[in-house]
Amino acid sequence: MTVARVAALLLALIVLPFVATPYALHVAIVVLFNVTYTAALYAVLRMGYLSLGHAGFIALGAYTCVILSVRLGVSPWLGIPAGGLVAGLFAWGLGALTLRLRGIYFALAIFAFGEIVTAFFRAFDWFGGPAGIPGVPRPAFLGTPLASHFAFYWPVLVVAVLGIAILYRLQYTRFGAALLTLKTAESERLAESVGIPAARYKTANFVVSCVITGTMGTLHAQYLLFVNPQVFGSTMSTDLLIYAMVGGLAGFWGPILGAGLLTALGEQLFSVGYWKTLVYAAILMVVIMVLPGGLADLPRRLRAHFGAPR
Amino acid sequence: MNPVLEVRGVSKRFGGLAALSEVSFEVARGELLALVGPNGAGKSTLFNTIAGVAPPTAGRILLEGTDVTGKSSHALARLGVARTFQLVTLFRELTVLENVVQGLHRHTRLAVLDGLLGLPRYREDTRRLAERAEGVLALLGIAAHRHERADALPLGIAKLLTVAIALATEPRLLLLDEPAAGLSHDEATRMMDLVAGEVRKRCTVVLVEHNMRIVGNYCDRAVVLQFGRKIYDGAAAGLVHDPAVVDAYLGVAEMDG
Amino acid sequence: MTPLLLAQGLAIGLVNGALYILTALGLTLIYGILHIVNFAHGEIYMLGAMAVYVFFVVLQWPLGAALAAIVLLAALLGLAIERGVFRNLRGQWMQLLVASVGISLIIQSLSWIAFGAQEKNVPSVLPGVVALAGVRVPIERLAAAGVALVLVAALYWVVYRTRTGLAMRAIEEDEETARMLGVNADRVAAVAVALGFILAGLGGAFVAPIYSLNPGMGLEAILMSFIIIIIGGLGSITGTVLAGLAIGVLQSIGALALGAEAAHVLVFAAMIAVLILRPQGLLGRG
Repeated sequence: MTVARVAALLLALIVLPFVATPYALHVAIVVLFNVTYTAALYAVLRMGYLSLGHAGFIALGAYTCVILSVRLGVSPWLGIPAGGLVAGLFAWGLGALTLRLRGIYFALAIFAFGEIVTAFFRAFDWFGGPAGIPGVPRPAFLGTPLASHFAFYWPVLVVAVLGIAILYRLQYTRFGAALLTLKTAESERLAESVGIPAARYKTANFVVSCVITGTMGTLHAQYLLFVNPQVFGSTMSTDLLIYAMVGGLAGFWGPILGAGLLTALGEQLFSVGYWKTLVYAAILMVVIMVLPGGLADLPRRLRAHFGAPR
Repeated sequence: MNPVLEVRGVSKRFGGLAALSEVSFEVARGELLALVGPNGAGKSTLFNTIAGVAPPTAGRILLEGTDVTGKSSHALARLGVARTFQLVTLFRELTVLENVVQGLHRHTRLAVLDGLLGLPRYREDTRRLAERAEGVLALLGIAAHRHERADALPLGIAKLLTVAIALATEPRLLLLDEPAAGLSHDEATRMMDLVAGEVRKRCTVVLVEHNMRIVGNYCDRAVVLQFGRKIYDGAAAGLVHDPAVVDAYLGVAEMDG
Repeated sequence: MTPLLLAQGLAIGLVNGALYILTALGLTLIYGILHIVNFAHGEIYMLGAMAVYVFFVVLQWPLGAALAAIVLLAALLGLAIERGVFRNLRGQWMQLLVASVGISLIIQSLSWIAFGAQEKNVPSVLPGVVALAGVRVPIERLAAAGVALVLVAALYWVVYRTRTGLAMRAIEEDEETARMLGVNADRVAAVAVALGFILAGLGGAFVAPIYSLNPGMGLEAILMSFIIIIIGGLGSITGTVLAGLAIGVLQSIGALALGAEAAHVLVFAAMIAVLILRPQGLLGRG
């Protein structure tokens, strides 16, 4: 993306709350949540790992913030970095143990992790049990809580832009380039033989992804005003994967495109319950079967098909 | 002065099976040593043991007098041991130039924060790495392929690229696993001329080889393994006259390679 | 915990384990041939249970006819999904995995729309309880577990005693060579998926009189199946059988001692421990 395009997009995001209806702003906030999660998930997919329980890290961030503010009376502002930190610590431990597994084995390990996280919160009343914890406070600015969509939009925007900027730039660092050498076991052996500490890099990248995911999770809980084990469960994990796949895994903007479009569409379908899942899954299947490069690949495919001059 | 590599009484057992039994030898600085032996003699095991992929069950490995036994593959790479693999192994989705840039990793300052901010000094570093990689490509005569994807290369070029990646680490000791295997006569000659010429000017080389013609023509010294034991250690030229070696290879067609 | 309670937990655990095995076996069979972990498997189990409700309760078919219809429909669904989806994505593990998630979501959401959230109940077919030295097990569960074990034996027979089974094992060993020797890998894959779906459908059918049914019940089944095949070793039939019984016991005794939710965490922790210490599973190939 050129500097001009980035500037235009940023400007649009800054102007948006001044012109949008509260409902449109609500959709924008949810889009920002999902786009950030999906970009973070993509950072892990990019090194050949399918994180099938990524919502577990949203839950860790969200619950950390909620427990701190509701149970222990800590400021909701402080809860935001704390949530990211806790998600990062868990990612560190889990990544060190499981990132040497590959393919389906890693995917299932992280899937199980996501299930354990929600089962854990469900099992203990102090963590809210199956019903979760209501009455989550939002942070205050100059003594006024950020109660309206307009007010709460800003911290969400800041975390989304910072998170996405970090994830985007990271790809083009030497660290980010080295991650591409770790996609298969064979290639990883070669990487180690030229001095790339594969395990450390993979874990570090996983931690970065999960810190950003967990940090956004804290804001998500504050926005919803509650947490429960269902919202950040396996459905959320598979939704994120669907966004990424539908958008296309060939580049950074595919998953973001997929998350943006499907979330905006999903918000329109939300009132009709299971139709949303059905529509998501149907779109996913169509993309996997007939458009393997995802929506991001659509312009190229159309050009190739209709032979339009470039 | 210490030898570049000392292998002292190295044994490796897999379950009850002894793949290596008390193998000892030294490699002097600047030497080109061939590791020879019939299939299953333990050459690859020895290679993996020296390169840190599989630590020995017993014995020591010293690099310029420093004990490096049991160090991991990437730690050894940082100490100056580079290797190629028997099966051609490349970063398949990267270009030729990017492959060699990855080979330079141990000379890279990671400076992730500089990179995130896109500082000029970071971009300058990146540019210099690409220049160094170009140098290695030119040395091996494959610079023309710099923008091709590694998985699209013909075998001859792919094998040269594996050497280029290893050489980019600027190793003290380079381990080449059958560099000429699978190549045509001309390609093999080109490869071995480079190994015995430009490559060995820069580092000490140990290579695994089956082909006696290549060992005799290019190498200084040979160590021969059979059933995991060393049966010969001496001039490469004397190899074909040694009765023990001839026995080990009796009836093996590659003798006249 | 008293010895009697322990024995009770053991008995219920073994019976539950036998029922888990049925669904898990289909999953491991499909993994062995196609190298995919089929997330849609739990939905086939759910459809099996729902089909009992529809055929046996609503339409009042005889039980035998209902079961025969379930076997037929499961096989057809398996053939269709293998042909329409899996075959086109072979060799792409990530796409296959995500596609099976997609199929699972489609079946599940369609079922919610069709059946609603109202729990369905199938009346008991074999009421009563067997009591032995104070350990009590409902006859129905015992019978279901018994039939499940008979089906497991039948699967062993198919895999180790028939030509199709030989072809399956050949493909599992080395697909390239098997193809060269004239094994029709596509046909074998289709048979494996159909067999796997039949087992899952029957697994669901057998629990229909035991549990309350809703379209979300597949998730619990697939979770247990994943855990079982990971612990037993992906692709290993014997490993799946042993792990299924072990997990059944671990879960039922864990639930008696610590509560159901904690037992859940325990079972998952067992799976993660196996993944970390022995990723190929207890009886999987290294």
